[in-house]
Amino acid sequence: MIKFEHVGLRYGVGPEILSDVNFTLDQGSFHFLSGPSGAGKTSLMSLMYLGRRPTRGIVSMFGQNVGQMGRHDLKKIRQRIGVVFQDFRLLNHMSAFDNIALPLRIMGESEKEIKANVDELMEWVGLGDHRHQLPNTMSGGQQQRIAIARAVITRPRLLLADEPTGNLDDEIGLRLMNLFDQLNRMGTTIVIASHNTLLMEKFSQHSRLILDKGQLRLIHPRKTIKQKLEGIF
Amino acid sequence: MFKIKKFERGLGIARKRRQYDLPLNKGNGGNFLKLLIALMTFLAMLGVASIFALSAMTDRWSSGLENKATIEIPAKDNSGTVFEQSHMDTLQDQVFNFLQNYPAVDTVEVMDKEEIKSLVAPWLGEGLSYDNIPLPGILTISFKDDVIFDTDALENKLKTFAPQIRLDTHQSWLADVLRFTGALNFAAVLITIVIGITTIVAVAGAVQSRMAIYHEELELLHLMGAEDSYISRQLQRYVLILSLQGAAIGTAIGGLIMFMVGLLAGEMDISLLPDFHLSIMQIFLLICLPLLVALLGMVTARQTVLRVLAQMP
Repeated sequence: MIKFEHVGLRYGVGPEILSDVNFTLDQGSFHFLSGPSGAGKTSLMSLMYLGRRPTRGIVSMFGQNVGQMGRHDLKKIRQRIGVVFQDFRLLNHMSAFDNIALPLRIMGESEKEIKANVDELMEWVGLGDHRHQLPNTMSGGQQQRIAIARAVITRPRLLLADEPTGNLDDEIGLRLMNLFDQLNRMGTTIVIASHNTLLMEKFSQHSRLILDKGQLRLIHPRKTIKQKLEGIF
Repeated sequence: MFKIKKFERGLGIARKRRQYDLPLNKGNGGNFLKLLIALMTFLAMLGVASIFALSAMTDRWSSGLENKATIEIPAKDNSGTVFEQSHMDTLQDQVFNFLQNYPAVDTVEVMDKEEIKSLVAPWLGEGLSYDNIPLPGILTISFKDDVIFDTDALENKLKTFAPQIRLDTHQSWLADVLRFTGALNFAAVLITIVIGITTIVAVAGAVQSRMAIYHEELELLHLMGAEDSYISRQLQRYVLILSLQGAAIGTAIGGLIMFMVGLLAGEMDISLLPDFHLSIMQIFLLICLPLLVALLGMVTARQTVLRVLAQMP
């Protein structure tokens, strides 16, 4: 579903931020992306949400080489990807409702459909009473929930989240992780960039992508290794 | 109502009505664009009005003079001897008869003494007695439309009656006047085109600066998979509304200035200048002008947005 082959990325004439990255993420898989600060997590995420083009290598999304795709087709691919940015990137002149509704409006959904879906999701993330509130007057946790709701409202095929539970209390954080899990069970591929080792431990059934000095390692979930061992012996 | 809305915004409550996806109504950039369009529309109106006025002037000066000529029979010979009135009358009759039978001539009219007096009165004064002043004989002729003829040959034949006779086809001075008004007209058209180009450049610059200010928001829409047309539609609509508002202001000011110029020109009673009356078509074109300016602004905005978006990955 997502395939990176010998992908490298550098900014301008500087050194490679990512070098020779190779991995394949299957449809419906769930991964944590971790690594020290400056390892290139955000750069790797930006390649995955097609915010940048690699300086070398091949990136394939949903079975298609994005380097060979036309502008219109790239838009269609982007519409299948939900992104939760670390800095949320909410539009502060629009209400919480309109922020969450934005991806649906871009996709051309009817207002009736939009209202039904957004109202339901806002209730679910605990923002039902803040429909008309402007994001910059809300707490960090509330803003984060808007960002997450906006990313999942279209039920994307790939969800990329950069530290999605950073500003949330444990209960809400867990609830949103369960939402990601639920989406994952419905077939969405999830990649969560996180420093939160406790969270990764709690959801240790998911594989981990570890980035260090521009190189990527894939660690399979313990459960899978155990299953493999069981299969051998 | 206004106070309630302001209060709600103070509490961080968004307007019920949906806004643009980009915060376009934030800041004073919109007012700048509106003012710019108002000025451009005002200047364009003056430019177009100048074209209309110059065209009217050209029409007035050239109409009735094409295919026409004047024959002057001076009242004295080349040595300065004044002719007797009887000689002048005979000469005038001979020329009249000749012209009546000339194949290229359609009509011949002899200008009577009173008409000639009224023609020379502005130069010699109203109260003067013309009894002792030798007045020339003047004949006006019109030529047939479909006949090509040589004016030099006609003048040479007229000179056989008296060598001092002059044939004036108006072409020499009219050509100069028409060339001059043509140059002015060209300049007015050029100025109007320059105003149009300036409008395009200014709108493109304003849109580009807005896009630079809201680059993050634009990038967000782009990353969400918004079609370029989806984004450009918003900026187009925004620029169209501002352009229509600006163009309406510019048209109102321009219309007022033109009305005042018309009043002043009427009071001055300058016979050389044409009366500045607009035809239905010209009024229609002036009404269309703000719409054209707004359309120009909208199309420019669209092209600018699409060009900037094309540079995104």
